[in-house]
Amino acid sequence: MNWHQDYIERYKKLKEQGKSFFPYAVLKDTIMAFFILALLCWFAYHFGAALEEPADPTDSNYNPRPEWYFLFLFQALKLFPGNLESVAAVLLPGLGVTFLFLLPFLDTGPERNFLKRPFFTLLGVGTLAGIGYLTYQGTVSPLTNPIIEKDPLVFAGQRLYVSLNCSYCHKIGGKGGSVGPELDKVASGETEEWLEKHFREPQSVSPGSTMPKLNLLDDEIKVLVAFIKSLGGGEGFTEEAPKVFAENCAMCHKIGKEGAEVGPDLSLIGTARDKNYMRKYIEDPSKLNPSSSMPGYKGQLTDVQIEDLARYLSAQKGD
Amino acid sequence: MKLLWEWMKSRLALAEIWNALFSRHVPEAEGLVGWLYTLGSASLFVFFIQVITGSLLAMNYVPSPDHAYDSIRFINEQVIFGKWIRALHHWGATFMVVVVSLHMLRVYFMGSYKYPREATWIVGVILFLLVMGFSFTGYLLPWDQKSYWATMVGANIASQTPAIGSYIAKILKGGDEMGAVTLTRFYAIHTLVLPGLILVAILIHLFLVVWHGISEPPQKNKGSDKKAGA
Amino acid sequence: MEEKDLNNKISRRSFLTYVIVSLGGLMGAILTGLGGGYFLSPIWRKKEDSWIDLGLVKDFTEGEPLKINFTVRKRDAWSTIESKSSAWIITANQKDFIAFDPKCTHLGCPYRWSVEKRQFLCPCHTATFSVDGEVVSGPPPRALDRYPTKVVGGHLLILPQVVGKGKEV
Repeated sequence: MNWHQDYIERYKKLKEQGKSFFPYAVLKDTIMAFFILALLCWFAYHFGAALEEPADPTDSNYNPRPEWYFLFLFQALKLFPGNLESVAAVLLPGLGVTFLFLLPFLDTGPERNFLKRPFFTLLGVGTLAGIGYLTYQGTVSPLTNPIIEKDPLVFAGQRLYVSLNCSYCHKIGGKGGSVGPELDKVASGETEEWLEKHFREPQSVSPGSTMPKLNLLDDEIKVLVAFIKSLGGGEGFTEEAPKVFAENCAMCHKIGKEGAEVGPDLSLIGTARDKNYMRKYIEDPSKLNPSSSMPGYKGQLTDVQIEDLARYLSAQKGD
Repeated sequence: MKLLWEWMKSRLALAEIWNALFSRHVPEAEGLVGWLYTLGSASLFVFFIQVITGSLLAMNYVPSPDHAYDSIRFINEQVIFGKWIRALHHWGATFMVVVVSLHMLRVYFMGSYKYPREATWIVGVILFLLVMGFSFTGYLLPWDQKSYWATMVGANIASQTPAIGSYIAKILKGGDEMGAVTLTRFYAIHTLVLPGLILVAILIHLFLVVWHGISEPPQKNKGSDKKAGA
Repeated sequence: MEEKDLNNKISRRSFLTYVIVSLGGLMGAILTGLGGGYFLSPIWRKKEDSWIDLGLVKDFTEGEPLKINFTVRKRDAWSTIESKSSAWIITANQKDFIAFDPKCTHLGCPYRWSVEKRQFLCPCHTATFSVDGEVVSGPPPRALDRYPTKVVGGHLLILPQVVGKGKEV
């Protein structure tokens, strides 16, 4: 390998001709670092760091999706069905890493210019294109299940409900104890003010109640009120609601025997979705389910009609 | 003051270190190519940001399924600049992957991994894998739906390995199920094991870069070996 | 001519150094500002006072100390702690209330009220306190510690934490 010796000598010369690392290269490094910090701050400010709902190992509706730079690998799995899956999952990445480690011993010639080593250039470009293509495929592939957006207050309230063991005495959706009232049938109809007073001092608004005073903190009361209010599935829709449904929805959706089957059958929708979800969905389906072809009704129907309809739909529990 | 400076200069060999690190000459790299040469130091810079923001986040984070999520919410809502620090760490991770990959591509397409810099490249590949390890283990820590299920997918992919797959998955998860042990394991790897390893690898990498000298940009027209003879 | 070149080079060099230092300083300031604010945030954190509602004022009998047990829910960063606690409540007119910390100021033993002697008795070292908390006999270094009290809407509220020592509240 006599070019090694030549290279060392030539490099020595180039190095002597070159400039000092400080300040010339350091200046570029500093400007680059500054650019990166500025861009990073912009991303941090603009997008923040998302935090979804807490992990729920029992949730079977969630769409697992890796961070975008692992997406190509995730997508590659779909190309290798069944027994071959381990090829995409382990063999290909393993080969890739091995290739990277061995690269200096595979490409040993003196040529450095990418035009003079077409094999490795093409290999590199090909791999990049493949990763790019798979990543693109992964991004546009539809989610299997629609994303369900929950109000964070309601969600915090639900968690507190569990941690305070409220279900020891109360029923929601038919589950829980029978010492206190069934919350989705009774309490969700009360005003927020009433609920707040009740949480502070149960006897002050319902004399004779055996509910203990819990000394809840202010923000705990806030989230519990939001949670209880969200339970109001099916309560209080007007006679207008079925008419609104018949006029606006029945050409695509079915409830019971009425309606068409272009869109999903909504006869049991109330068992899966609460009122707030239904309202948001009617207003703009694309926000909750990007692949939906249903139009948004915000502006088409009045807010009162949408609320009414949402109550009506969340009452559809099949009974 | 001056005396102290002189003392430090001589005892810490500051002048010699300065000469070796900063006054060394580097081959000319003009224009756009010159900017490609900043990607390495940019990776180091992002690494520093990750160390700073990560250490701060660790002050308010609990690696337990009971409290992980709530402690993150505490950081988001109660700590001054908590949202910022978390967002910087989150996007810093993404930037790290991008910058390191670009750096790797620069070296790949310029053939900079060739003699005498083979070892620098190999340590670089190790650094790349460590960065991937960081992003995989860090992803789980918020313990929200996204992190839980993405990690589940990752563990399932690992379990596809022929013959030893189920053992790998068990070692990753710390058991048969994902849970408390998985979280503490990932936390320890993310904040203790990987930082230690990456620090050593960075030092070796930097030492090798300085020792062999940064590679010169490839010659455009003539074969580089011919030019050496001229 | 050559000297001029050299001078140019030096001034260019020092200009570049100046740019590097100021950009570096700016980045340092941004990171230190954010990180410093985060690290020092305990300084600015507001203390959350959790007043405990002990019930209607008219339920407290005048002149006779009454031991009230209550539960305190307290936020501790990301967790909420529930603890049982108690206080001795004394009122002369159902308007002004005194709430004593239920621990003796000597070694923290729980004391009790003696109806016959009209004194608080601590069983550990036989200390006694008068009805307004002053040390009557025994080793305690100061009068009984008090909790802040207030009356809101006919309810007595106390803040179960000792602010200052002895009678300072």
